[in-house]
Amino acid sequence: MNINNDQLWVKVIKKVRAWARLNSIWAVHFNSGSCNGCDIEILATLTPRYDVERFGIKLEGSPRHADILIVTGPVTRQARERLLRTYEQMPEPKFVVSVGSCSISGGVFQGCYNVGGSVDEVIPVDVFIPGCPPRPEAIIDGIIQLLTHLKDGNPRPARKEQIIERVVA
Amino acid sequence: MNSEQNLQQAEQLLAAWNKETTHPEANRLDATIAADDLRLAVSALHNTHWGYLSAITGMDLGPDAGQMEALYHFCNGPAITTLRIRLPRTSDVSLPTIEDIIPPATFFERELHEMLGFRIEGGKSNERLFIPDDWPEDVYPLREDFKIEQAKPVEGRHADELPDEGVVGGNKFVIPIGPQHPALKEPGHFEFTVDGEIVTAASMRLGYAHRGIEKAAESRNWIQNLYLFERICGICSHTHAYAYSQGVEKLAQVEVPARAQAIRELVAGLERIHSHLLWLGVTAHEAGFDTLFMYSWRDRETVMNLLEQITGNRVNYSANVLGGVKADVGPEQAKAIKEGLNYLETRIRHYLEVVTTDTMFLNRTRGIGTISYEEAEEFGLLGPTARASGLLRDVRVEAPYGAYTRFPISGVTETNGDLEARCVVRLKELLVSCFALRTIVDNLPEGPLTTKMPRKVPAGETISRVEAPRGELFYYIKSNGTEHPARVHIRTPSLCNWVSVLEKAVGRQLADVPMLIAGMDPCFSCNDRLVTTVGTSGDRKTWSWKQLREYGIEYYKR
Repeated sequence: MNINNDQLWVKVIKKVRAWARLNSIWAVHFNSGSCNGCDIEILATLTPRYDVERFGIKLEGSPRHADILIVTGPVTRQARERLLRTYEQMPEPKFVVSVGSCSISGGVFQGCYNVGGSVDEVIPVDVFIPGCPPRPEAIIDGIIQLLTHLKDGNPRPARKEQIIERVVA
Repeated sequence: MNSEQNLQQAEQLLAAWNKETTHPEANRLDATIAADDLRLAVSALHNTHWGYLSAITGMDLGPDAGQMEALYHFCNGPAITTLRIRLPRTSDVSLPTIEDIIPPATFFERELHEMLGFRIEGGKSNERLFIPDDWPEDVYPLREDFKIEQAKPVEGRHADELPDEGVVGGNKFVIPIGPQHPALKEPGHFEFTVDGEIVTAASMRLGYAHRGIEKAAESRNWIQNLYLFERICGICSHTHAYAYSQGVEKLAQVEVPARAQAIRELVAGLERIHSHLLWLGVTAHEAGFDTLFMYSWRDRETVMNLLEQITGNRVNYSANVLGGVKADVGPEQAKAIKEGLNYLETRIRHYLEVVTTDTMFLNRTRGIGTISYEEAEEFGLLGPTARASGLLRDVRVEAPYGAYTRFPISGVTETNGDLEARCVVRLKELLVSCFALRTIVDNLPEGPLTTKMPRKVPAGETISRVEAPRGELFYYIKSNGTEHPARVHIRTPSLCNWVSVLEKAVGRQLADVPMLIAGMDPCFSCNDRLVTTVGTSGDRKTWSWKQLREYGIEYYKR
């Protein structure tokens, strides 16, 4: 069937889909070797004081149900392939938020023998949230920036073009 | 018996094999013995219940010295006996195993093997502990002459070998859990073999968070390392920095001012409250009790506020500097701390009531994962996990350090040893902490916050032990008189407590497993270093997904 993007019903469906997606973002969390600092702050965003559920954001266990992948840590050699697998298991459209200094540059662990360097060397990242660890407010702000960017039907944020090697499942 | 007599007793016990005895510092005995006598010497200490094996430190003294060392540290209250074994640095450095005498030693021995290339004779397993699966053979990262170029991935192997799809044997099935966890926020991979609902074998693979910090420490200077060690674990970052700076100060013979010591204890106490409340929330979440999770995390924000007010950061607070602390507690903070503690105390009493009376929660905790006193001793458990079984392992009580001599803490123990007891121990500990913190705030000694530290730390070696929220944290620090440490060995409490999960999961329902894992308050970032298998899964056989499906169809035709 040929779908013409100018048709009214296509436009309406797209709008409804965007509305639904932006109001119920499900996030999956992956720790790729971080020190826990970022992870407990991510959990803190779910709890009553910060309460991200008011934006419809929910932490989800399975990557197959998730829209956003939140990654912390400098990507250790062993966690790398699992990170790729988790990313590949997520349905499109998917977005990646990298939280913490070491997920951006390796941080204090730069040069360690078992550490890759940064998350964006492995998978494409949409939002970087710096800090060691970033405050819960910063994490919420990062995700909300992503949502506002997508709200008006914008394309995904500009990012480095990357070739992602496929993992043999 | 005081610690002098303890050390004399140890010296007498070891007299037959001891080649050279030194007392490197107060409360320490260093006995050099031959590798062949190791098992006899270890049995002598073990059979008389002289303390417990706290850690095994391996060291490579470099190609010039041509020697390797293995140090077996036994702790008995404040007294520490170190068995030192010196071996020539050849391609085949071997040590006899002691895991049949002291079962928890197996983790330490496998670490020796993997990091430094000691061959453990008679050891049950030489499997990878925390180094990736594609790491080349015969390359050991903690050897002095290790270069990062040597660690090229081996062709045809994956860093993280995946489990076989649907592994079954007989009526058994393997359930893989992790490393990306729905509830637990840290990476660890578990495989539970189940027969119906009952777990028949358990194994795990860690190392997803292994970063190689001990090696990195050797190339950074003393001050840089403080911030590196703080980031070993974000939950107990102060304790790591505390143990490290305490050790370095001992080496440099610097006396930390009383006020700084009191503030260190204060921050450590607040950190304990934050860590235990966090743990309570996670455990409640595993039990499906999300209301308690939300409440305890809401109250935890009170402590986070206090930590932020004192040090300026919520996590990784960097309260320590070498030679003191950098954050002062003024009248304003003192008032806030007291108000916060008053609020927390009422809440903790409430939680204590909840975990001991709520029927639903008790169904998940009472009588589950019970560890007896003898088992706790045999497994070498530490911290609240041991104290729940009546075994008082608490460095703050056994060997008071820093300000704990001035503001002592009373040890809390429970006798039941099940998950309920572990909840109760931790919550009661918080009440003790609240009381102690109030005393500190009221009686904060006057004086400076820091003393001057030399840039270069004099040559020597020391052991620094600190009670982390999860148990005894052990630091071995060696200096050769330069700006960098020669070797820092860290043994974290989670490493010793894993056995409690794997041993206790076998024979239980699969549904209890998340609670058991949460019950010991694991910290992967801290320990990340082992894989172990408990139970019998001998008749495992690999089935493809297709075969499994056909088997399922056939099964239901009947």
